[in-house]
Amino acid sequence: MTALLLDHVTKDFGEKRAVDDLSFSVHDGEVFGFLGGNGAGKTTSLRMVLDIIRPTAGRIEILGRAPGRENSADLGFLPEERGLYRTMTALDTITYFGRLKGMTRGDARREGKALLDRFGLGGSANMKIEKLSKGMAQKVQLATAVVNAPRLLILDEPFSGLDPVNQGLLEDEIRRLSKQGSTIVFSTHVMQHAERLCDRLLLLAEGRKAFEGTQDEARATLPARLTLTARQTPASLPGVASATELGEHGGWTDWDVRLEPGGDPSDLLQACTERGFALRRFEQSRPSLHDVFIHIVGGEEGRA
Amino acid sequence: MSNPILLVAAREFRQIAATRSFWVTLLILPLALAIGPLASHFMQKPHTETVMLIDPSGQAAGAVAERIELDHQRQVLQSLSRYSESHDLDRADPTAPWARHDHYYSDSEVKAFVAAGGAKRAAAVMQRVATPDTKPFEEPEPDYRIVPTRPAIARGSPAELATSLPGLINPPTKDHGAEPLDYAVYIPTDFASGRAPVQIWSDGAVPGQLMGVLQDTLTRAMRLHFLEAQGVRPEMADAAQLIAPMIRVNRPSPGKGHEQVIIASILPLLVSYLLLMSLMLSGSWMLQGTVEERSNKLIETVLACVSPDQLMYGKLIGTVAVGLTMVALWVACAIGAAFATQGMIADFLRPALAPLSQPSVALAMIYYFFAGYIMISMIFLTIGAMSDSFRDAQSYLSPVMLVIAMPFAIIAQAVLRDPSSLGVRIMSWIPIYTPFTMLARLGAGVPLWEVIGCGITLALFIAVEVVMLGRVFRASLLGAGSKPNLARIGRLMRGRETE
Repeated sequence: MTALLLDHVTKDFGEKRAVDDLSFSVHDGEVFGFLGGNGAGKTTSLRMVLDIIRPTAGRIEILGRAPGRENSADLGFLPEERGLYRTMTALDTITYFGRLKGMTRGDARREGKALLDRFGLGGSANMKIEKLSKGMAQKVQLATAVVNAPRLLILDEPFSGLDPVNQGLLEDEIRRLSKQGSTIVFSTHVMQHAERLCDRLLLLAEGRKAFEGTQDEARATLPARLTLTARQTPASLPGVASATELGEHGGWTDWDVRLEPGGDPSDLLQACTERGFALRRFEQSRPSLHDVFIHIVGGEEGRA
Repeated sequence: MSNPILLVAAREFRQIAATRSFWVTLLILPLALAIGPLASHFMQKPHTETVMLIDPSGQAAGAVAERIELDHQRQVLQSLSRYSESHDLDRADPTAPWARHDHYYSDSEVKAFVAAGGAKRAAAVMQRVATPDTKPFEEPEPDYRIVPTRPAIARGSPAELATSLPGLINPPTKDHGAEPLDYAVYIPTDFASGRAPVQIWSDGAVPGQLMGVLQDTLTRAMRLHFLEAQGVRPEMADAAQLIAPMIRVNRPSPGKGHEQVIIASILPLLVSYLLLMSLMLSGSWMLQGTVEERSNKLIETVLACVSPDQLMYGKLIGTVAVGLTMVALWVACAIGAAFATQGMIADFLRPALAPLSQPSVALAMIYYFFAGYIMISMIFLTIGAMSDSFRDAQSYLSPVMLVIAMPFAIIAQAVLRDPSSLGVRIMSWIPIYTPFTMLARLGAGVPLWEVIGCGITLALFIAVEVVMLGRVFRASLLGAGSKPNLARIGRLMRGRETE
């Protein structure tokens, strides 16, 4: 089942087009990364999904329904810009948002207490938000997003402003909810988090989709890169785009090798074996999502 | 309760009710009701003013003093008459002068009343038919009291008096032990010849009443002198002074006529004022809450759960609930004071609460109160949605408050003067003033067609206001940065521009 579907969605703010003909889908139970630079249209897209703003054109389907507050019982949302009612207590805040999402007062309080205990804030349940540290308030904010055990959790730049401990806690919470069957969509421009969490991802540049697929598919968009240690240059081998000498030791030379786009490192290894090309080291470098991001989004934004 | 609108309303209410300023404001009126009469008792200037008569010949001062006392006794007799009429005590002695209520008492009648024992005797007679609830008669304070003339002043020439007297009239620093002095009157020996002027020293305008006493008494003396000089026998000249017309006064009984208009307008005016006060307070609290939601970046989290319309209506209901709670407590205190106390507050409030006994007036008051609350709160709400800080909000709020609150004093005065004057009626049809004006007028009676017409006009205005300001509210919620200017607000209201 599709948890979220955007079909040719466009959003204009006056003369400015923030999202341009965006189409993608998120499958049930997936952790989906929504990646893009600043101003790429991530927040606008998520606001449209939540019905906070309406698209200029296109269609959105969320858990099989049109966007609207009737979905709030199944949704969790953590915005990029966060804040809470300063004079409310932590537990009252979570209960309030739980109730806005259709929970009963008893259920919301019970779940709120359990979340605060899990986040190490059990003793601060009745403290006012203004008395909590920034890190503690961020945990409370996360609790307001997940208090209803949402079927679809939407996180807008969830790691921004979090210290490493809270980043780890958030990653754990995302994994826990994913294990329980929740679908998670999160936007970020920090690729390490996406690398650790995402099943699939979408790259957004200037409001347009630049890529959608798995991490492997994303990496495959970059030429394969290898480190070889050989007695002679591998530049003449089939499929090699470039070979850069890194250093020489004891008659052997280290080479940084890039294959032609679509080239498979296994084919190069086979060619070496068939030609008696002496090798002491054949090490494939896995491109990072950061490299992919720079490759795809950098190119898109450069062209824009 | 799972309706998001009610949840938002309840949260708004709790947030405001948790503030210290809410409780301070809530308790201000009951405290004022308790402290007010005491404070006014201690701060009020004594009513009776003092007069020093300087009369070297000793011919006129006695007549002036007698005249002042006579006027005071006339006032006492008139008060007794109103008292007797109010408490249905005429039957104690139907022939007594105070049992005549349509009459201006002549000097001879007043003298007869004093000779018969005055107010003390009259009160004793009335007591025979009074019930235990009848409050005792309180004699009005005299307007003027004659103080002894100091020997040094009594001997002074007009020139010396002109130097010494101004310093004695209400000096800025009080001379402890000295009799306070408001007016000094010098009557020269030959005043009757018309050549030497009678002189008055005062630190301000001389009241017409005192001038009347002096003019009347001294003119009589001069006329007597003149008639005697013309050969008229003294007893004939004296009798001529006593010739006076009988004057019959036709006025409504106590609590009726203009007095009734004023008393009946007190509660509606008070409600109108309470509406204004509680609106300003609860509106500014709600505005603070909305500004907080924007400045604390809360709004997106909230809007993911409730629609902008639900948020708007929830806030409106929460604010109206806060205002009504305040007003309900204040009204309860007033009613409690009216029925649990004796004395001035109760006398003031009991007749003032009378308009509420008419269901149609009570219903109209409730309608205009609610409508006024929604109309003005909507403006506060929109200002909150457009502002990133309270300072931002102030720049919108100040002109709005000026337009709404300034005419209130004019309305109140105009209603007390003439509740059906053209100006007041025109104000009733201007929607932003309709609730205040109609609430203020209801006690004095407003034609039904006007109550309904103004009510419908107001309802239509509120409907258009909610639609137009609702657009501004929705479009402004997520906007940040520069405040929208008037032109942009206009476009947003017309729906020409959205988020």
